[in-house]
Amino acid sequence: MSKLFQFIKIIRLGDAFIIISFLAIIFWAISRSWNMPSGQYLKIESNYEDPIIFSLNQSANKNISGFLGSSVISINEGKARFVKSPCTKKYCIHHGWIDKVNQTIVCLPNQITISIVGNSESYDTVNY
Amino acid sequence: MHFHKFLLITVIFLVSCGQKKPVHEYKDFIFGTIVDIKIYGETEDKSENISNLIFNDFKYLHNYLHPWEKSLISSMNKALASGDKFHVDDKEILHIIHENKILASASENYFNPAMGKLISMWGFHQDAPEQNVPSSEKIKDFVANMSTMDDLHINQTTLSSSNKNFQLDLGGYAKGYALDRAKKILATNSISNALVNIGGNIMAIGMHGDRKWVVGIQHPRKPSAIASIELPSGWSIGTSGDYQRYFMADETRYSHLINPQTGFPADNSQSATIMIPPAKNSGTLSDVYSKPLFIAPKLKKGQLADKLGINFFMIVLADGNILISSKMNQSIRWLEKNHEQIISIH
Repeated sequence: MSKLFQFIKIIRLGDAFIIISFLAIIFWAISRSWNMPSGQYLKIESNYEDPIIFSLNQSANKNISGFLGSSVISINEGKARFVKSPCTKKYCIHHGWIDKVNQTIVCLPNQITISIVGNSESYDTVNY
Repeated sequence: MHFHKFLLITVIFLVSCGQKKPVHEYKDFIFGTIVDIKIYGETEDKSENISNLIFNDFKYLHNYLHPWEKSLISSMNKALASGDKFHVDDKEILHIIHENKILASASENYFNPAMGKLISMWGFHQDAPEQNVPSSEKIKDFVANMSTMDDLHINQTTLSSSNKNFQLDLGGYAKGYALDRAKKILATNSISNALVNIGGNIMAIGMHGDRKWVVGIQHPRKPSAIASIELPSGWSIGTSGDYQRYFMADETRYSHLINPQTGFPADNSQSATIMIPPAKNSGTLSDVYSKPLFIAPKLKKGQLADKLGINFFMIVLADGNILISSKMNQSIRWLEKNHEQIISIH
């Protein structure tokens, strides 16, 4: 402990300022990445399954059960879309890809929503 | 001294990291759309219980007011269509009918819940509309004998109709009315911070922690928000859009928002969003009054908004240009603005 005080005695005000700023930046970075994982995720919600969150950094097809049957959602390096759906109009498929935070596709007939979530959600809900 | 400073900074960081209160979110599919409830600052158990109370109330309302499946309303329509009188001893339904009469008349019948038959002719009385355009003869006939709420007569608890076309359809009212009921359920159960969203009809109660609830306004042609706006406590916001229920035939979009004056889907707007300040029926008004602003001719929209006392509105017109009230324009935050878009301020 006495060594620590000796160290504090010899450093100048400027040194202390740099050390404190440096530690502050590290803390800021850690707390930020702790609370909000960087990058974006795909959130899939269905009345027939628990909500699932997938990383968007993958290429994969996911089968999700809905009201009418199984829908297939494709994730491809940062973007996602419906590729198969048992609904009649297929509006969910025609929507195409989504890749930005808060973008959402809803398949009302099959009761499945997919949305991109991430660290910059700028609103709580959407007036669709 | 310096060491203390360092400690102080660390403590501030740790404290600020640990003060995030949770928001519990629940979703269900009711009224043919998604219902989303967010509750801030309550335990998970309580949030879940209250959300379920609200979902159950919405399911009850949906079955009770359903325009085409078996419900009190469809029985009433059947009786009135065959020229019979219909007895209702249900105070709530009499209140609902009375309120619909007042709102339809105030909106110069641009909000017309009495034309269920026309909505059905267009195929919107099914979960997935057929892609059939009715013959213009049929539509002309209907419009010549257009039914309005004035055709429904109430004699204490007996209803009768003086127009064979009369068919009540509360599709433009029920979600807003449900919001007002949700507000009561939240208040009775001492929930002071919540956000309820029924397929785009939203009501805010309290705040999201130390900030107001923020709502994204859907872009009518993209899967993202065009703007966002803060929704203060007790306020409601509602949107009517041609992208919600529609079908395409011969590359033309036919939406469920039918113009009572022509009998055809209104085609001068893509979406109309309105915000209503706290009131006993704020939810109802946010649902009902977005229709007249969507349907009315372009040059009449602003005047109609003034008449209905709507100070906050934003309409995306068919050509993508925007008509916005000055108060809405002061509060809105644009997320996606394109430079060719013309924004007119009313």
